[in-house]
Amino acid sequence: MPSPAVTPWWRNRRLMPWLVQGITGLVVLVVVAFLVGNLVRNLTNAGLLLSWSWLHNPAGFDLSETLLPYNAALPYWRALLAGLVNTLRVVAAGLVGATVLGTLIGVSAFSSNGLLRRLGRAYVELIRNIPLLLQLVFWYFVVFLALPGGEQAIQLPGLVLAKSGLYLGRPELVNGVWQGQLRLTVEFGALLTGLVIYTAAFIAEVVRGGVASVPAGQWEAARSLGLTPLQTLQRIVLPQALRVIVPGLNSQYISLAKNSSLAVACGYTDLYSVAETTLNQTGRAVEVVLILLGSYLVIDLLISAVMNGVNAWVQIKER
Amino acid sequence: MTSSAANSVMIEARGVEKWYANGYHALRGVNLSVRQGEVVVIMGPSGSGKSTFIRTFNALEDFQKGSIVVDGMPLSNDLRNIDAIRREVGMVFQQFNLFPHLTVLENLTLAPTLVRKRSKVEVEREALELLERVNIREQAHKYPGQLSGGQQQRVAIARSLCMEPRVMLFDEPTSALDPEMVQEVLEVMQELAREGMTMVVVTHEVRFARQVAHRIVLMADGLVVEEAPPEQFFNNPQHERSRQFLSQIA
Amino acid sequence: MTSTPQAPLARLRRELFATPLDGLITLGLVGFLLAVAAALLRWVFFQAEWAVIQANTTLFAVGRYPIEQQWRLWLLTTLLAAATGLSWGLLRGPSRRWPVNDQLAAGILIVLAVVGSWALKLAPAIQLRWCGIAALMLAVRWAAGRWGHTWPMGLRRLVPLIWPLLYLLGMVLISGGLGLMQVPPSEWGGLLLTLLEASFAILLCFPLGILLALGRRSDLPLLRWGSVVYIEFIRGAPLITLLFLGQNILGFLLPGGLAPDRVWRAAWVLTFFAAAYVAEAVRSGLAALPAGQLEAARSLGLPMHQALIHVVLPQALRIALPATVGQFITLLQDTTLLSLIGLLDLLGTARTVMANPEFLGKNAEVYLVLAVLFWCCCAALGLGSRALESRLNPLTTAKA
Repeated sequence: MPSPAVTPWWRNRRLMPWLVQGITGLVVLVVVAFLVGNLVRNLTNAGLLLSWSWLHNPAGFDLSETLLPYNAALPYWRALLAGLVNTLRVVAAGLVGATVLGTLIGVSAFSSNGLLRRLGRAYVELIRNIPLLLQLVFWYFVVFLALPGGEQAIQLPGLVLAKSGLYLGRPELVNGVWQGQLRLTVEFGALLTGLVIYTAAFIAEVVRGGVASVPAGQWEAARSLGLTPLQTLQRIVLPQALRVIVPGLNSQYISLAKNSSLAVACGYTDLYSVAETTLNQTGRAVEVVLILLGSYLVIDLLISAVMNGVNAWVQIKER
Repeated sequence: MTSSAANSVMIEARGVEKWYANGYHALRGVNLSVRQGEVVVIMGPSGSGKSTFIRTFNALEDFQKGSIVVDGMPLSNDLRNIDAIRREVGMVFQQFNLFPHLTVLENLTLAPTLVRKRSKVEVEREALELLERVNIREQAHKYPGQLSGGQQQRVAIARSLCMEPRVMLFDEPTSALDPEMVQEVLEVMQELAREGMTMVVVTHEVRFARQVAHRIVLMADGLVVEEAPPEQFFNNPQHERSRQFLSQIA
Repeated sequence: MTSTPQAPLARLRRELFATPLDGLITLGLVGFLLAVAAALLRWVFFQAEWAVIQANTTLFAVGRYPIEQQWRLWLLTTLLAAATGLSWGLLRGPSRRWPVNDQLAAGILIVLAVVGSWALKLAPAIQLRWCGIAALMLAVRWAAGRWGHTWPMGLRRLVPLIWPLLYLLGMVLISGGLGLMQVPPSEWGGLLLTLLEASFAILLCFPLGILLALGRRSDLPLLRWGSVVYIEFIRGAPLITLLFLGQNILGFLLPGGLAPDRVWRAAWVLTFFAAAYVAEAVRSGLAALPAGQLEAARSLGLPMHQALIHVVLPQALRIALPATVGQFITLLQDTTLLSLIGLLDLLGTARTVMANPEFLGKNAEVYLVLAVLFWCCCAALGLGSRALESRLNPLTTAKA
């Protein structure tokens, strides 16, 4: 048997992968080194080299609303923290609202009422094809900012919608101005409404897909046992559909969390809006961007961790 | 059905050993010699490594120890060797693996035009002749999805033949077919053998093996257990394992 | 004895009034819908002041593009209309009567061209031009449908190449060069800027996404982990922060603080952003393809790059088509975020228009028109994608 000739390196199957990776890695390294080098040089020239001490300087700007106590004399990091809390507030409320609304609309696709089905479909098709930012500015400028004030405010049981804000509970009209304990700004209201209505359309599709994935045989078996459609949905179909729905919900929740960054269009001081102001005042682009990216990454990871837990719980139930 | 000692050796496998990533020892030192014009049928229980073994011949599977030489070209790390070997070795799969987005004719002409760089007109003419040989010429402009399983497998055979290979490998070619379509494919394979093609076939079809094979190879647990001409293997198996296997499939 | 007039009534009854509860729901919904429709129509025709749109059509359409150079944009629009008609016609193929969706689209086109340009109070010459362009598109669509199938296959396969070529030509027409006067990006605005940013990002994110998807599935650890890091980093970041990054940090990354124009910075950010999502869509397409396809291609002697180009990608991309086009639609919608970083896309232009004291408070009119515009574009893309899908379906992909 002939002894194998030495394989030249450019044709060697074992060597090829390492060669390719080596070259790619080298190119990437060179490009990154070039960019970072420029970055450091330009930052030094501008006197803006990476540092975190500026976070302790007084912010000098106010926030239109904040859950934490805050005023302009407090340091930047307090402002950013307040922004983060605002983001978490609207995201938490948005997740709940979008899930409820989205589930209702998604389930309407299986209603016996033809009109209801078509309306649900129309809702999804309408909302999905209009940009979120456009919807947000619409809710803020056309609806919420146009709310009447004082006596003409919209008064619903447990909720008063007025120009000065949204009041929950039992607010009172004092000298033409509404007073109440639980008050939300119209900015919050507009952002929340826009996010909920938009994300609900996508969650509706996730729910619909999940319910549709349950075999028809399940419905038939339940019907032959005498269960009503609603009972079937609740007890038989939804638990099984959840296995498909939960991963889809995860990505929609993350999407909502990221979309909350558009709050700046509604005048709501969320993390991004505070960060933008901070950048304008300090010029610390790199640090601010790092804080932003890091924060949203953490929020995404938290949501994913919780949803993975839910996923596991939903699976165990079936065993 | 006699193999000529003067014929050159098409495939020479010595001491081939393979471990999977999870540590499973799939091939434990397999030897096989296939001469030009021979039809070798490899049989064995599932998990014996027979499919894995023939897939090492055209580098679809790696092996860690031993050596394989195909048509005088050693199967090494040299990409040029591997490409050359793949051109000379045709393979027919259990799942046909036809390209569903191309017509039957395009399935046949794709490789010769791209790899052997031949003119499209010439290749098409040859392809149509091949389709004629496997009795499927009228389907030339249909898509694989429109054909039955038996027809698809015959197209797969024609597709491999279009590259003018010197060895044909068959990996359980009829196992995925409905019973009534098995015969049409076996007939094509029989015709190929009659024309002198070197074939290595992994199959459970005993009648085909008896009629067409020059040699039966029984594999079990990653090793060759017995090698013999069909009359001897089926009527007078030497090894206990062979007897056990034959009793299971009889 | 069921006569035809009875049957639709019976169906209506079954769908809407099957149970008393259903009946109640139907009545409630119908009442609600009628009230909303009445209020909306009343507002549209009697209360809304549409002057804000009519007075600013050029601004909304092309921003501050110099008037004497706008003929270049008209030329581009005409070419685009012809190319759309061509692709549309070839896609549908010959048929005596157009499919229902096509008839609907044609009807909408005519209505938009005739009624739309009249409602916008455009100059008569311009109204005529729009009618002409719409007529051209429909005529080319008809001709392509009628005679397109007689063309040789090779020619038909080349037609999709028109789009990248048209894109390059469009860039020259819009920005200048080749003897045409330069028009700097700062003067591009409105619908022109929106479509430019979207088309740039769509064209470039597609090949980049395919490369990322292939890298994600590669056996080479560096390529795989590199792709994973990129994709997960992008997917974890809101687009606005990435645009923010692009606008503020890019200047620091290049020597001497040089930076390309803000318009191009944003376009590249959109491209890199969308590429990560397209990569995920293509990846599921690749994963859905049976492994046997690549094996068969390799065993025939095809080298890896040819196996990918001729066997794997054509099938994987067909599977990934709906999700990919979905990403393109999202990309079109994401261009509105450019208004938040100070660029004058459609939404940004709208806001400057509304800042004009003369048009203060006319938010509803403007946002409604923009909403309708976006909805039509996105819905059209969605319908086009479904038409493409059904056209490619006879070539069903390999079953595992």
